[in-house]
Amino acid sequence: MGLFEPERTNSAPHPRKEPRFPEPLSRENLKKVFEGCVDYMERTVYLHGDRKRTVTVCYLLGMARNERLSDYVLRPLAQDPALSQVPEEELFARLQYGALYNLAANRRTTLDDVVNDLILGSCALFFPGRGDALTLPVVTEEKRSVGEPENEPALKGVRESFVESVRTNTAMVRRHLKAPELKIREHIVGRRSRTQVDVLYLDGIADPDTVERVRRRLDGMDIDGVEAAGNIEEYLTDHLNTPFPTMPYTQRPDRFCQALLEGRVGLMADGLPFAWMLPGTIDQFFKTGQDRAFHWMAASALNVIRWLCAFVTILVPGLYIALVTFHPEAIPVKLALSIVAAKQEVPFSTVFEVLIMLLAFEVLQEAGLRLPSPIGATVSILGGLVVGNAAVEAHIVSPAVLIAVAIAGVAGYAMPSQDFAAALRLWRFLLAILASAAGLFGLAAGCAALIYHLAGLETFGVPYLAPFTSGAGEPRGHSSLLRPPLPRMKWRDGARHTLNRRNQR
Amino acid sequence: MKRMGAAAVLAAALLLSGCGKAALPYAREMGDMALLRTMGVDAEEEAGQVRVTVSTGKRAAGLQGESQPPLILSAGGESLSAACLSMQGLSDSYVFYGYVDQLLLGEEAALEGVEPVLDYFSRDVELGLGAQVWLVRGGTAQAAIQAGGETGVDSRLSTLQTDSEMGAAGITRTAGEVFSSLLEQGCAYLPALRAAGPEETEGQTVLLEAGYGVLRDGKLAGYLDGESAKGLELLTGQTAEDIIEVDLPSGRAVARITEVSTRCEPVFQGEELTGLRLYCRAAAELAEFHEPMDQGELAQLREALEEREGLRLRQVMEQLRGWGTDCTALGSQVAQADPARWEKLRGEWEERFSMIPYEVSVQVSVSRTYGDLA
Repeated sequence: MGLFEPERTNSAPHPRKEPRFPEPLSRENLKKVFEGCVDYMERTVYLHGDRKRTVTVCYLLGMARNERLSDYVLRPLAQDPALSQVPEEELFARLQYGALYNLAANRRTTLDDVVNDLILGSCALFFPGRGDALTLPVVTEEKRSVGEPENEPALKGVRESFVESVRTNTAMVRRHLKAPELKIREHIVGRRSRTQVDVLYLDGIADPDTVERVRRRLDGMDIDGVEAAGNIEEYLTDHLNTPFPTMPYTQRPDRFCQALLEGRVGLMADGLPFAWMLPGTIDQFFKTGQDRAFHWMAASALNVIRWLCAFVTILVPGLYIALVTFHPEAIPVKLALSIVAAKQEVPFSTVFEVLIMLLAFEVLQEAGLRLPSPIGATVSILGGLVVGNAAVEAHIVSPAVLIAVAIAGVAGYAMPSQDFAAALRLWRFLLAILASAAGLFGLAAGCAALIYHLAGLETFGVPYLAPFTSGAGEPRGHSSLLRPPLPRMKWRDGARHTLNRRNQR
Repeated sequence: MKRMGAAAVLAAALLLSGCGKAALPYAREMGDMALLRTMGVDAEEEAGQVRVTVSTGKRAAGLQGESQPPLILSAGGESLSAACLSMQGLSDSYVFYGYVDQLLLGEEAALEGVEPVLDYFSRDVELGLGAQVWLVRGGTAQAAIQAGGETGVDSRLSTLQTDSEMGAAGITRTAGEVFSSLLEQGCAYLPALRAAGPEETEGQTVLLEAGYGVLRDGKLAGYLDGESAKGLELLTGQTAEDIIEVDLPSGRAVARITEVSTRCEPVFQGEELTGLRLYCRAAAELAEFHEPMDQGELAQLREALEEREGLRLRQVMEQLRGWGTDCTALGSQVAQADPARWEKLRGEWEERFSMIPYEVSVQVSVSRTYGDLA
């Protein structure tokens, strides 16, 4: 086990009560389950006005759509004359197989199933004297409309974004990828939230082992609820002791579909307006949805710039400390003279200055994010310009430090993935501290530790650095640093073990 | 997790205990430093004593105001190390030698030998062999540094270096180049400067070019100046822009030598080296002339230029041969031409170089600045 390997411990058993409601299925027991729930509703209906034939409709207000319930269920029940004439024993089958206009009707025999259906937006029909029930999905579709992806703006691409409804999201994917090979497997995750989590993949392209691995881990999750991305990510990831994200996500259906075409496995959770693309290798965090939209030369140049920015954001503060404090002879003469002139009358050491400025940068950023956008912008301007300028003029910090920290900070914003940028920020602090202790030696040791750390990461059986270091004998795909012309990108990356590597003629 | 924690605690313990102090670099604040730019070395009158004089540039010291002149410090000692160390006590700032990129050698120090100075530059952790070396002709390095005035001597030396790179001044040499020449050939040349006083420059004291000093076995053997200095530049193929005036029947013409290439070929008879042939090709531009020049006059101009350049080459060869110093590494060209025979010559090359006959062949092509005439 390496230094940064996650510690695997066997936790105490957390037995799940199965079934959750062992009582026999009946309207009375259902009512007991939802006792104290103001949104639980029951309505008894005479079938075509026949007082001898009644059926009780149970549903949860707000989860079921009123119009559907009225038009597809209640109206036929009240107005269909055949329902009052058909023999009692055939009544249930008749309702199940056509008398009601609903798209689906399910016969349920356990209280658990009926409770689950009601929570998901179905209504349940109970017949006097019967031990089963009929559930009909009349789910409401009240949700946020499909909008533009705010986190991944499109200059030259589709302008739709995933929303909180998983079924809307799968429909968007289906519209992009009309292949019947697109498989969508559903898992229910969360004891209390019972969240639908869907696994999407292209059969015949995606690695079946990866699909199986994802599904097995989803099945193995036993948590109360899925309310945040971390509820999925931190349970599925191989490595918890790394700040680097291992599950890239996107808001954009086009980028998600491209990932499926590359042989990745998609993951969506109801309530979360984005989707993950697995396995996540390091190059994924440098790609944008626009890479395939721009000319290949421009896209390649931008990708190289993003990599360069990653190095700048992580190394510049540490490099500044190391050079100014330990190795001034390595600084070009004119720059050294400028630094000496700028450093005059500043009372703090360079190390203290840089670390404090890095911290101040993070504080400003956090303050800007937490406040409403108009006030956030004011805080940024006040903090960045006014306070920064005043601090330099008052000789509290030297302009060179301010420039170094600002360059590092701004370069971090060039990262398409904010998760990856956050990991770089943490390592930036670590490298700055190491450089403060041992100069370039400390910085080089920190970089070696970083490479060691990254080389030890795996996501769903694929090395994190796979685009640069595939396993022995594994064919590599195309360059991850440059984006070749699309007609020349004929192969899917070998490290993902796709079943069909060729992607075009 | 426990391992990570243990590793972090161990690393912190190592750093905080001071055990790593010897292995780790030493931290210094640049704001408290005096960044030295120029260093001068002189021989003291007392035998075995040296004097080191250093100077910062403008705004190159932590506590130096914008209007303050460069900081100049001078200390003597029995060795360079002792003199440099005692310099720390003379300044309020930490005296940092990492930016010394100009080295001035006093004439007396050069006569006693420059190898100890260059050796010190190669061994010291802060100094480096990338510094430019200058010889102060007929004076001391201390006086030359003090002649820098308000702007500092490094400014003047940097200007000379830049002019040299642009071909507007003579050849400059780094400490590394001079040291490696001394180690490989036993001789070297380096640019010389002289301090021109106010009476000469109608103002303050200025450092001016003063030819080249030639070192033999690490000690100053003599100076090349005037036509000999130009000859050295021709021999090394690094000529500065050189203006030559020629009187022609139609009037005076001025040519500018823009490019030079010189090669040396050995002449063998059997196993015996019987001579050297120096082939010099130069390009000249016609800078000024008064009448339209015909082909005959152009030929006269070319012949005059070839004669002048040939004379320069012969002059420098005579002087170098007189001192027995092949400081332009003609011997290495012989070695490249015939490595096997060179092996036999190597041991006695200095002696042979002084006596061997040589021929000089110069070919000049003349062009106008806006078109080829030749």
